[in-house]
Amino acid sequence: MQHVANLTQGHESGTEVAIEVANLGHVYAGADGGVPALQDISMSVGAGRFVVIVGPSGCGKTSLLMMLAGLRAQSEGKVLCYGRPIPDPDPERVGVIFQEASLFPWLSALDNIEFPLSLRGAPREERRRRAEAMLTLVGLDGFGARYPHELSGGMKQRVSIARGLVQDPPVLLMDEPFAALDEQTRMTMGHELLRIWNTTRKTVVFVTHSLTEAVYLADEVLVMSARPGRIIDRIAITLPRPRTYEMMATDVFGKLRDRIWQQIRKAS
Amino acid sequence: MSRSQIILTRLALLALVLGAWELLPRYGIINPLLLPPLSDVLAMLGNLLGRPQVHEAIATTAAEVLVAFVIAVPLGAALGVLIAESEYLGDIFKPIIFYVFSVPKSIFLPMFILVFGIGFQQKVAYAAFTTTFVVLMSAMAAVESVKADHVLVARSYGATRPQILLRIYVPSMMPILLETLRISMIFNFTGVMIAEMYASRTGIGHLIAGWGENFQMPQLFAGVIMLAAVAILFNEVVRFLEVRCSTWRT
Repeated sequence: MQHVANLTQGHESGTEVAIEVANLGHVYAGADGGVPALQDISMSVGAGRFVVIVGPSGCGKTSLLMMLAGLRAQSEGKVLCYGRPIPDPDPERVGVIFQEASLFPWLSALDNIEFPLSLRGAPREERRRRAEAMLTLVGLDGFGARYPHELSGGMKQRVSIARGLVQDPPVLLMDEPFAALDEQTRMTMGHELLRIWNTTRKTVVFVTHSLTEAVYLADEVLVMSARPGRIIDRIAITLPRPRTYEMMATDVFGKLRDRIWQQIRKAS
Repeated sequence: MSRSQIILTRLALLALVLGAWELLPRYGIINPLLLPPLSDVLAMLGNLLGRPQVHEAIATTAAEVLVAFVIAVPLGAALGVLIAESEYLGDIFKPIIFYVFSVPKSIFLPMFILVFGIGFQQKVAYAAFTTTFVVLMSAMAAVESVKADHVLVARSYGATRPQILLRIYVPSMMPILLETLRISMIFNFTGVMIAEMYASRTGIGHLIAGWGENFQMPQLFAGVIMLAAVAILFNEVVRFLEVRCSTWRT
């Protein structure tokens, strides 16, 4: 609680709250009473903020994200997205971008991006127009006709991001989207994501294993403990924006990354 | 070996077999009453193809094969998905289907005659029955190839249950189902043939069975060539569909 107070002082966003999580807990049903997965998670994400969640493997980061998306129900506590609970997926409020290539291999890049719109029966021209605009936004002009297997790993994740953005939801949840990419592509994609975020002003909750990625991208980093996952530290990233690659070599950057690393080590 | 060499070898082999078919009976090495020379068979084929009775038989057989296929494939696919997706139905039906699948279907033929008679419907019903099992088994396997991630993505965009079926399950299962199509076409054709040879008034199978009983060997072999041509035609149609539908295959 003390950390939350620190944050609101340090980072006055002055806007409404996009995501509010209060005392969320989750227990996986099992033979001997169940496995506690998440414990007493409380967090508040202001609209337009970029929040990164880090933690050891199996700490329940992904589960938490699925609950924010309405894809999985929590055992206790509540999740509010723009003031309302989210018991089922709601593409009007939340777009999700998944690990690795979750693109449909039987659809072209453009058709993949149109997929969320076509589920709602949007008219053909509108679908095409918006998908084309998204393709341009993620820097893939002219690649719309390609199938996923004809795209590189980085390009596939660009298409995934475009698909997540096409319905223009205010919130974007990202589950280790760049985990499968090589180091260089990963850096480029992080930079690209910030550019896109800056253009669209979405609220982003981003889960990752990479501490460098966390510090580079975030306004705020939430550190989770090993299972049962709890939030053990909240770190405001005060680096100025736009972020540059050069910042990674600075003292401030190193200190922030060290602090996260110490927390994770203590917790696991 | 280069491509042209392979083709040449194939042609040579074909020429050898056809040449033997012509010459061995012609010189009495094989009894021409059992195996008439190729030229006699081809002459008979030409003769038969001029007869309205044969036209009718070919048209009937082709229609039976087609209708049975069009019934069996969607039916088998739908049942397979239903059983694979529902734990309850799976528990009940999987063993039953597994055992019935291993039983030769021709033992049910008398039942089909009792219910449907010996006309068009009986051929279609019996062939569709045998084919549905093949498609059903493969559809159950195809459901396993649907990626949980893809279903999750669709759900996150608010896809309803029917939408997930139509837009995720169907395309995910397509590669396996396409491979099944040709195999099920073979089962389907066999089903129609057996039903026609067993009891019928028309169809290529009926004609062949009759010629065999009457020891009309040139007619019999001409019938076999006719049948092979129709079977190859169907096989190629399915293969054409396969190629058309599998552009996205990875």
